[in-house]
Amino acid sequence: MSRLQKTTRCLENNHFERSLKRIQQDVLRMGTLVEQSFRMSHQCLFEREIDAAKKIIYLDKRIDRYYRQIELDCATMMTLQSPVAQDLRLLSALMQLVRDLERIGDYAQDLTEMAVKLIKYPPHSCLSEIRMMSEHAQLMLATSLVALADLDARIGKSIQQLDDTVDIAYESLYEQLAYQRNFPGVVEPILLLGLIIRHLERMADHATNIGQRVAYIVTGEIK
Amino acid sequence: MMATVDFFIGLALGISLYLWQQFYFRSQVKKIIKIFSADSDRQVAISLPPLSLVRRELYLIDQKRQEMEQERDNWQTVIEQAPIGYLVVDQDNQLLWCNREAQSLLSIDRWRSGEVRLLLELVRSYELDRLIEKTRKTQKNQEKDWIFYFTRYASSIDDSAEKIMSLYSNRASSSMVSSIALRGYSFPLSNYQVGVFLVNLQPLVELSQSRDRTFSDLAHELKTPLTSISLVGENLLTRLKNPEHRWVEQMLKEITRLINLVQEWLDITRLQDDPTQIVKYESLELSELILSVWEILEPIAEKKQVTLNHTPAATVIIEGDRSRLIQVFLNLLDNAIKHSPPDRGISVNLTLDSSETNTNKPQAIIDIIDSGSGFAPSDLPHIFERLYRGDKSRTRNPDFSSENLVSGSGLGLAIARQIIYSHGGSINAQNHPQHGGAWIRVTLPLNRIRKN
Repeated sequence: MSRLQKTTRCLENNHFERSLKRIQQDVLRMGTLVEQSFRMSHQCLFEREIDAAKKIIYLDKRIDRYYRQIELDCATMMTLQSPVAQDLRLLSALMQLVRDLERIGDYAQDLTEMAVKLIKYPPHSCLSEIRMMSEHAQLMLATSLVALADLDARIGKSIQQLDDTVDIAYESLYEQLAYQRNFPGVVEPILLLGLIIRHLERMADHATNIGQRVAYIVTGEIK
Repeated sequence: MMATVDFFIGLALGISLYLWQQFYFRSQVKKIIKIFSADSDRQVAISLPPLSLVRRELYLIDQKRQEMEQERDNWQTVIEQAPIGYLVVDQDNQLLWCNREAQSLLSIDRWRSGEVRLLLELVRSYELDRLIEKTRKTQKNQEKDWIFYFTRYASSIDDSAEKIMSLYSNRASSSMVSSIALRGYSFPLSNYQVGVFLVNLQPLVELSQSRDRTFSDLAHELKTPLTSISLVGENLLTRLKNPEHRWVEQMLKEITRLINLVQEWLDITRLQDDPTQIVKYESLELSELILSVWEILEPIAEKKQVTLNHTPAATVIIEGDRSRLIQVFLNLLDNAIKHSPPDRGISVNLTLDSSETNTNKPQAIIDIIDSGSGFAPSDLPHIFERLYRGDKSRTRNPDFSSENLVSGSGLGLAIARQIIYSHGGSINAQNHPQHGGAWIRVTLPLNRIRKN
């Protein structure tokens, strides 16, 4: 009897491990999609690839589908399997984390829309700086995804330091855009650029959040 | 007396039992050896005592095992050293093994041999993941081309922010994201494992890009001198008498051809570089547009006695660039006339597909079918490529004058495709299954693709 119980528990455990692994895999999959749409928004903004604006809509739909699926899976796991300790932390953090990912994807889609509007204006002088900012935010997202894959708390926490760079860039770009004098023509390009840097800054923040959630999964400390 | 007899009977029984058992054992051993030993040394095997036979077999098997191990190691080294990437994942998408080339192609830098981890943890590529899933689901070989992007990340080794910052400011910004064109061949293995071969297409992509660039640079450089040559020629023409006059006339004709070729090349390059900027949208009626194109071509068609069977649909109104679309249909219909034998017809069917689903937007479908001999199957994949001439295969038909074969720059279909693409439509070519003529199908979306 006890042997039977043991094997069933073992099987259950195995099943639990596998579903957990599957959810993790789905989150990583969603991560690749979000990374891809961020990259597309970058290409759309700085390399004028209008095609990206069309493709990103499909990407966003798929991201949304993963988001709902993962959230549902996590909730099911938490209620039916009643996990403890790190597993519980993992599940609850993943639920929050996919929200961050989904937000980044949404911002990326917004960015392509703005890029399409921006295309009719001549390139602004601070575009190269915004490009650097966007690249840095992408590096942060990549780093947070690596931290998630490795469940490495140290990398997760280090993203916070990277975020400072983006914040500084945001401040300086804001100054440049806001206090420009004798600006000829309509304000739309300036307005768009302002929104773009705001979006990039938000995306970087979400990447930082992901890093912190990874640290929480591993250590259980909220900082 | 009786006891002795009993004893001997018992002894005989015992011995015979023993002998029988020996015999049985031997035959069993021989049978087993027969199954496992190779055919060639069966003769030798039979004559030896069973125990040494078994020893011999075990030795042979051990030797074979060692050989196979060695061979397996050799194969492993071969794959490890292969110039194409190879990786294998298990049923849960965990990376079991990958070779050095795959590691460098996919920038796998956090994997040690023997470690089993999710592939997605190591390679963040949605396309590769899809390819593997599809292979596992269909249990069939798959092939896919995609561009793999790798974004640099801040690893824990250089986790100090300053170090990253210095990397960031020193290096060219392009080093933040690197991209590589890959082709993956995947195939199902036992136990739902999937193997993938990866080929680096980047050199090919770069080569073809640099070829196109060189060509358009060259075309650009040729344009000005050609124009001035033609001007000089025209001036000469007024001052010359025959036969020189005729020669220069001939020369001018060739120069015009060259100028057209150069112009078309520049045109297609511009279309490809900046597709959406070129198209000037207006509402137009397709049926009327096709008829107007036919009116332009009517003189040529009448000369060959080729007729047009146009089955008009109800008015189909699309948004598109009038002059560009006329260019497309001029080219397609001109080709159709050229390749149709005299006294035959070309059919142009215009249909409206107004069903609207998630993947299918309402669109107009234009089928142009000529009654010629169709495309050669080997040409079909290439006919929309620049400067590709499938005409060679069509020269079999003696009806064509040689003049028709040399005309055309070889860019017409490439331009047509580029224009249709810029409209968000598609174009493809095949042979009509019934009468074998060339069949070109163009689809155009009814509404302009909204840019946002």
